[in-house]
Amino acid sequence: MSEKGEVDLTGAKQNTGVWLVKVPKYLSQQWAKASGRGEVGKLRIGKNQGKAEVEFTLNEDLTMIDSLGDKPSGVQAPRDHPFTMQTVGGQTLAVFTETQSGKEQISLEGLVVQRAECRPAVSENYMKLKRLQIEELSKPVRLSQQLEKAVTTNYKPVANHSYNLEYDRKKKEEGKRARVDKQQVLDMLFSAFEKHQYYNIKDLVDITKQPVSYLKEILRDIGIYNVKGTHKNTWELKPEYRHYQGGEEEEKETDD
Amino acid sequence: MASLGGSSSSSTEYIVRVPKNTSKKYSIMAFNSGDKVNCSSWTQARMERDMSNRRMYGVEETEEGAAGSEFGKKQREEARRKKFGIVTREFKVEDQPWILKVNGKAGKRFKGTKKGGITENASYYIFTQCPDGAFEAFPVNGWYNFVPQAKHRTLTAEEAEEEWGRRNKVVNHFSIMLQRRLREQERGPDDDDEEGEKGGKKKKKKGGRGGDLRIHDLEDDLELSSDESDSSGGEDGDSKPKKKEGDVKGKVKKKKKKKRGSDSEANEDSDDGDFEGLEVDYMSDESSSEEEVGEEKAKSNKEAVPKGIDEASESEEESEEEKQNEEEGKEEEEEEEGKKTPVQTKKKRDSSGESDTSEDSDIDGEAASALFMKRTPPKRGGGRGSGGSSRTGSRPGTPSIDSASTSNTLRAAASKLEQGKRQVVGGSSESPAAKRLKMESSSTAVTTQSPAPSGKSTPQPPSGKSTPSSSDVQLTEEAVRRYLIRKPMTTKDLLKKFQTKRTGLSSEQTVNVLAQILKRLNPERKNVNDKMHFYLTE
Repeated sequence: MSEKGEVDLTGAKQNTGVWLVKVPKYLSQQWAKASGRGEVGKLRIGKNQGKAEVEFTLNEDLTMIDSLGDKPSGVQAPRDHPFTMQTVGGQTLAVFTETQSGKEQISLEGLVVQRAECRPAVSENYMKLKRLQIEELSKPVRLSQQLEKAVTTNYKPVANHSYNLEYDRKKKEEGKRARVDKQQVLDMLFSAFEKHQYYNIKDLVDITKQPVSYLKEILRDIGIYNVKGTHKNTWELKPEYRHYQGGEEEEKETDD
Repeated sequence: MASLGGSSSSSTEYIVRVPKNTSKKYSIMAFNSGDKVNCSSWTQARMERDMSNRRMYGVEETEEGAAGSEFGKKQREEARRKKFGIVTREFKVEDQPWILKVNGKAGKRFKGTKKGGITENASYYIFTQCPDGAFEAFPVNGWYNFVPQAKHRTLTAEEAEEEWGRRNKVVNHFSIMLQRRLREQERGPDDDDEEGEKGGKKKKKKGGRGGDLRIHDLEDDLELSSDESDSSGGEDGDSKPKKKEGDVKGKVKKKKKKKRGSDSEANEDSDDGDFEGLEVDYMSDESSSEEEVGEEKAKSNKEAVPKGIDEASESEEESEEEKQNEEEGKEEEEEEEGKKTPVQTKKKRDSSGESDTSEDSDIDGEAASALFMKRTPPKRGGGRGSGGSSRTGSRPGTPSIDSASTSNTLRAAASKLEQGKRQVVGGSSESPAAKRLKMESSSTAVTTQSPAPSGKSTPQPPSGKSTPSSSDVQLTEEAVRRYLIRKPMTTKDLLKKFQTKRTGLSSEQTVNVLAQILKRLNPERKNVNDKMHFYLTE
């Protein structure tokens, strides 16, 4: 198993030649609808008076174009597509692949030896198709529509919003914050300060679920309040209680 | 697969398949043909995504947990950015460039950047021929343009600019990169010690070069290679081949460095000169020694001037003065002596200009230039200025009084000259007399004034004041009688007739004497217009 990043160069070594073909969008969409083994059509390569002619013929069953909207389009994709052959010169094109699933292997498949453009043979079908496309594209993205009646479903007056009711219920359930033992609060605080150095008073109240005044009392014992500096109005432990290097659990002194 | 025969055309048909369930994603790797990349010559290749842009998108974590961090900082930062509408684009791994390394460490390196928009309007498919003759078409997922990466060192933009400026002087271009390497290595150990000196970076560069300069200048023998190996840590491999070229290079380097040194020196010189034309605030302490002299003078001027200043009108003059003084102070630093006179005349103009107007100062300047040389006038001018300011308190130099004071000016000038002469001879008693003189003359000219009506004594010779002098009018009985016979007069009228200036008596004396005379004469009284008039009939 080759490691990630290692490029499998078998294709390059074998000098595998591939074609790079530019295909119209509608054709690729039709190809996506192919079933079974994925057969989409036939490619005819011929030599006509010295010149190579390549033509692609789309399978019959893939010519139905689906249009957006309800009505069937009634448009058929053209079937014949001659290829325009081009040279590769000016660029050296190689093809590489990545396997996504799990392994993530990059391999070089080969070099491009021929470039081609797939063009539809101009036909009535093609014109209709094009017209359909243009119509779809020219539809504005946003549409202004006049309403007969005013919209009344949005904001109805409510005795009390459901959100508010929930909030009140939650508050009642929680009840007023009860003071617990100072020791417990201190433990909570110290474990909190182990995680972060600076805390907002509101956050501490949230964490400890203590009333603000009681919490402030305790904090005044063990911590200091930063007014200036980068950490605007935050509490932090006093230096003698701090031990941030290493971040180990330390027995911190608590004086009662 | 069916083959159709034709007369002049032969064609073969192939089935085209588009496989559905492929787990592979196809991409194009595009090289510039000028780079002459031959993939079959590659023995080994490694390719990975270039993640160097990740920190732009990701949060730069300074501290995670514990010290320095705040509770909920991330959320707060996020909320803040949302509030300001900063939308950070997600870091998509699939859009990152590729780094391709061919043939190991010593081989080539390529960077492949994704080309956008290839799947927007048309799709690219890769047609490969299968063993069974059919074609399989795979859609192309991405297009990457690979460019070779330079392995040799390059100059940064700033360095390139510098070297460009020096291109005509530098003979040996190889040494440019050499120098850069040396500098980097010198800087390497230095950087560990002095981390925060980003501002000093340029200085270091110069210093580094200067350091190089010193090393090479001192080293007369061309032991450059040894120096280089000293300074450049582990570049032993380089120093050996360099020894051979060291001779030639060294000489050239010396020349170049000397030139560089001279350049840097020249630059420093011109830097100094840059400050010459600037106007410096006088109260600053950071004046260079050249300007100190001028500054002192200007300061002294400034101090002297505020003494007798009438604020409103003189502020403009002052500022003009200062500027003039400034420039003078700067340019004529050597001519100390000669400067004092024009400065002092200006000052004199200022102080005297308060009491009268600028016109006065002009005349003063002309008339009293000789006196000013003796330096007595400044003090006098100061004193007079203060006196004048008290007097002119009611007259803040408004132009309406100009016309009135023109007549004053001449008299004032004359009186000043007189005063000057007198001061040589007499004491300070002259100044009040002169004052009175001035006041009197002004009182006659300007009636809007509230002049001192007490001034009526006649100008006296230094000898004495008590005896009436031989002047035009004498306060005698005869004179009084003459007046009273002619027409009835009040006491006031009589007093007016016998002015202090002409009789030489003080006002009190005049009154006493007049009273005595009237007693003796015993004229008749008449009431005209509610005023007591005296008259005599003869």
